Amino acid sequence: MFCCVKLPDLKAAWTRTTGKPHVCLPAAGRASQQPSNETNFALTPYTKVKQWFARLMPQWSGGEDRLMLIVFGAVVGVCSGIAAVGLNFSLHAMESFFDSYRFFWWSFVLPAVGAAVSSLFLEKIIREGAGHGVPEVVYSVSHHGGLLRGRSTFSRLISSSLTIGSGGSAGPEAPVVMSGSAIGSNIARLFSLNERQRIALVGCGAAGAVAGVFNAPIAGLVFTIEVIVGEWTAIHIVPIAVASVAGAQVSRLLQGNQIPFTHLHFDVDVTTTIASVGLAVITAGACILMTRAIRLSHHFAGKVPAPIWVRAAMGGALVGIIGLFLPQVLGEGYYVIQKMVEGSFTQGLALVAILVLAKITATSLTLGWGGSGGIFAPSLVVGSVSGLMYYRGIEAIWPGLFTVNEGCFALLGMAGMISGILQAPLTAIFLIVEITGGYETILPLILISVISTTICHSFEPASFYFRDLVEKGHYLRPRTDAKVLADLHISELVEKDCAIVEKNMNLGRFLKIVQQSRRNYFPVIDENTGEFAGMIHFDDIRPYLFDAMLYDTVFLEQIMTTDIQTVDIDDELSEVLKRMDETGSFSMPVVSNKRFVGMVSKATLLDKYRKELMLQTTS
Amino acid sequence: MQLLLSELAKSLNMNPDIVERWIRQGRIPVKQRHNTCIFVPETLEKWAAAHNVNLNMPGSRETLRIEEKPQSLLTAIEQGGIYYDLPGKMAAEVLREAAQRMDAIKSRQLKDLLYERLMDREQMMSTGIGNGVAVPHPRAPIIDDGVNAQIATCFLEAPVDFHAVDKKPVFIMFVLVAPTAKQHLYLLSRISFCLRDDSFMQLLKTVPDRDVLLREIAGLESRLDQDNR
Repeated sequence: MFCCVKLPDLKAAWTRTTGKPHVCLPAAGRASQQPSNETNFALTPYTKVKQWFARLMPQWSGGEDRLMLIVFGAVVGVCSGIAAVGLNFSLHAMESFFDSYRFFWWSFVLPAVGAAVSSLFLEKIIREGAGHGVPEVVYSVSHHGGLLRGRSTFSRLISSSLTIGSGGSAGPEAPVVMSGSAIGSNIARLFSLNERQRIALVGCGAAGAVAGVFNAPIAGLVFTIEVIVGEWTAIHIVPIAVASVAGAQVSRLLQGNQIPFTHLHFDVDVTTTIASVGLAVITAGACILMTRAIRLSHHFAGKVPAPIWVRAAMGGALVGIIGLFLPQVLGEGYYVIQKMVEGSFTQGLALVAILVLAKITATSLTLGWGGSGGIFAPSLVVGSVSGLMYYRGIEAIWPGLFTVNEGCFALLGMAGMISGILQAPLTAIFLIVEITGGYETILPLILISVISTTICHSFEPASFYFRDLVEKGHYLRPRTDAKVLADLHISELVEKDCAIVEKNMNLGRFLKIVQQSRRNYFPVIDENTGEFAGMIHFDDIRPYLFDAMLYDTVFLEQIMTTDIQTVDIDDELSEVLKRMDETGSFSMPVVSNKRFVGMVSKATLLDKYRKELMLQTTS
Repeated sequence: MQLLLSELAKSLNMNPDIVERWIRQGRIPVKQRHNTCIFVPETLEKWAAAHNVNLNMPGSRETLRIEEKPQSLLTAIEQGGIYYDLPGKMAAEVLREAAQRMDAIKSRQLKDLLYERLMDREQMMSTGIGNGVAVPHPRAPIIDDGVNAQIATCFLEAPVDFHAVDKKPVFIMFVLVAPTAKQHLYLLSRISFCLRDDSFMQLLKTVPDRDVLLREIAGLESRLDQDNR
């Protein structure tokens, strides 16, 4: 048996009373805000499926939606796996197309053209900002329940294949994560799933994408939980694991079951494990350098007085010029990694060191100046090259120290770099094991990952993905104080049972109202304009309470406090609490458009906060 | 069964805005389609228990509790009854007579108990509040199923010395009996409002009929209600 609850159109009422939309979304989310009522009842196949689905929904609406999420997770995983393979194919096609022009002296304009076209495409056609995608997904998960625009399912795939295929130094992983997440989000929207379910499907999309692009299902699962969702609960892990399997399986069916970077056998002994600590310091240094270089170049590019696509072209041209001398820096650079891991990169130590710096420069020029792509692949390249550099440096000082070849250090360098950039050691460990098949290196691999993360964390408290979010105060993780506070809105806490009094009321009349009221605070308004004028606390009238002579001679205007701190109905709750702490007050009047709305008090806040916390922390 | 969102919110003791957000975020096993919400009561109850949330579904006992409204002065006086020509020369005598006469106090035992309590209170401090009026009452509420909030209006045969604050002999008593302290204070404040009114005092001195007295009290009380509004 089901109970039906009629829901009054609160959103409309809200908009009427405040003149503001119910949910304030930033530009990225607003366009895809769910329509509140569907007017189109034509029996298309989609509506038929939806009707059939709606009949099943009540059983699935509660905690018993795990089976449904597994089914959806598999579907989303397959879709994002296809997206990942599609991006791989288009990258290869693009690269082989541009390869024929790479021998001309003017080939340095190719990355410029690619970056400019990709920037124009994002800016003018899709109307999305540049950026690599992962922070956008995390922001959407924490603030809008995983709402992503439909066009995000393909926009980054196209723009990043233009940037990378033409030679820009960036990675295809973040774009494909964004696409997969958007696929998950839009499938959830199609079936009107709630936010919790939608977040799970966004995670499924991201996991399927990573699993598909690297043929690494565990890395897909761990990356999603550690970086995107940030919550290790069964409700997320189960569907995301299924999506990882689906994504990896699709990728294996379409492009064969191959490990991206095959290597020779390593004979890892204790010297390698100890030496990995030194490499962790090197990779951490490279991480910090790369993070700051990208930010610096972004900052610098912002000052160039030119349209956004011209800036992208300028960055691309500079990358192209570097590429004339060091072609290894161009593109995603996976063939470079392959060479490093195989141990077939023969150039000397000096060139390797230059290559590290050149790749970091090229990446910061590409991403910082407006190209489209991720930081995953460049990090892997820089990591493998710095691993090689470290190995050759040690060998030069102490020949014959290592029993392993340089490929092992290239592999460890990748782990150090990824864990430092993402500040996600588990992702790095599983990813490197999976994409190299090098389980024998697991001991130094774990060590380098955690040490590199720790060193990076002490220099850069937020990872590359989260730094912007942290700076804007948008970094919210599930089950944290900030998340609970952000979920509560002042309109949900405001108490409206205050007796409102007028400025010209005399004390005697006011005492009658005090007698009837249960509260100690009385808002005073101007009776002509209706505007909020001040507050009277019960303490304010205590001295005059028993002096009957004053009842007719004193007016509230003379008693009220006017220099009182107020809050607006749309203020952030964390901000309100901060102000309460500063002034030492336990409640504050909520004033919107100069009208008194109600009181917000710490007591009510604590009550609601606790309920919200109970809901968010038990599952 | 059909509920408004506000009713669901009420049974959760939450703000409707919050409940709506919970539905949107999928934190509560309630499905919202168009303007209708669907849920399985058993699932919702299980959810409430798992999350330590209080849920009082409409129809359950807790929601049927009716807010107790204070009895008006007029009904209290009607309940208590109006008695004329109480004999006696001392406070104790008139109080015993009043307790005997009060119709709403049924049993002999209760009448004796009431008298005892009235005397206890009188010995502490006189209830003669001046201008020839006394408001005798027990200190602690008398809790008994048969006792409603009531005021017995007793006109005395001859004025009696109550050791009142202004030393004037008392010619009228309002014996106040209430089951709760809150009711007691409420009725006391209402009757003292009436006694501050000069014309009402003049009327009392003429020993009016039951109907005239009740009409006057009704008028005064409605004025008080209007003032408070």
